[in-house]
Amino acid sequence: MGIDAHLTCRLCGHEHRQIRLAPGDRALCARCGTLMAAEGRFGPDAALAFSITGLILAFPAALLPFVIAGKLGDVRVCRLFTAVGALWDNGMRALAVLVFLCGALLPVALLGAMAALSLPAGLKWRTVEIPFLPRIVHTLEHWAFPEVQVLAVLVALMKLGDLVDVAIGPGFWCYCAMAVCVVLAHRSFDFELRDPAPVHRGTAAAP
Amino acid sequence: MNLRLSPVLFRSNSTAAALAVAAAVMLVPANLLPVLSTETSGYSRSDTIFSGTVELWRQGLWAIAAIVFTASICIPAVKLVGLGWLLLSVRRGVPRDSRRLTRTFAVIDFVGRWSMLDVFLAAFLSGLVQFGEFSTVQARSGIVAFAAAVVLTVLATNAFDPRVLWPTQAQASPRSFQP
Repeated sequence: MGIDAHLTCRLCGHEHRQIRLAPGDRALCARCGTLMAAEGRFGPDAALAFSITGLILAFPAALLPFVIAGKLGDVRVCRLFTAVGALWDNGMRALAVLVFLCGALLPVALLGAMAALSLPAGLKWRTVEIPFLPRIVHTLEHWAFPEVQVLAVLVALMKLGDLVDVAIGPGFWCYCAMAVCVVLAHRSFDFELRDPAPVHRGTAAAP
Repeated sequence: MNLRLSPVLFRSNSTAAALAVAAAVMLVPANLLPVLSTETSGYSRSDTIFSGTVELWRQGLWAIAAIVFTASICIPAVKLVGLGWLLLSVRRGVPRDSRRLTRTFAVIDFVGRWSMLDVFLAAFLSGLVQFGEFSTVQARSGIVAFAAAVVLTVLATNAFDPRVLWPTQAQASPRSFQP
């Protein structure tokens, strides 16, 4: 395939040969200091485990009540997509699409792509034959912001204060857990090892 | 060459500069137009990004005000200034402080997403607080401009290729050359 076993720094493009890392070790680029690889504390299958957990949590996060608000006896149940619907009805359709993509669809797509790339090599339908999938993960990571939405909801609840009575619903906790899974899966996900290069587990970069 | 490092079609410094300028332009209406309007039992107010932060501060929610101020005002400004600095540094060939500039780029790349906070905040509030005449929150046009500015800064960061901060293989010392 013409791909050698060198590791290339994500930012500066400096090439390194591979060494073996102990659990908890991190390999930094010798030239610019960017983190290139880390042997996670959670073991080699952590990315797969976190991705699948996140995908499962996405269902209750989308379906269960996010926040329940009450004002003078009037109770309103807000779900993940209520905000998107409100923006859409308000005529801000592009914004509604952006919020839907960054807050819901792309995090799930990122989890799906990382899960597909982390599947054990023995499986028949492993995704080696989809060569653009690593690049999709790279694009998605710039546009999936579940953790930002978690902070936004917390800020909103503080800001509402005495305007309305609010109670956090189970959907929000599931969404928080999903956001944590996205971050942890992404941390444990090793791009170099998922590229279709003949690279062994537990190896990383050295100058 | 590694697959994921092969150059993306639109990745160039002039694209990054154009997107950064567009983001700076969009930040003007984003900061001048109201982003949220609140109506509570006959009392109504419209807030811009800045006045919303000041209102949070006045209510005594200092930590929240600091978070919103950082995400909505500091981060977009820092991103644009940082990108401008990077783009100016590479205009006259390979800069000398490559390592510091690369760290700057990594920071810009990392903090950028948090400026979406205000967009999610406005979306969530306008979805949640819909109690007819008692209490209503409506997202206003400023938030669309702000979201556009955030998207443009993310695109600008993605378009900037930090490898231009470093000498190419041919310029580098023979030691780092990989046959």
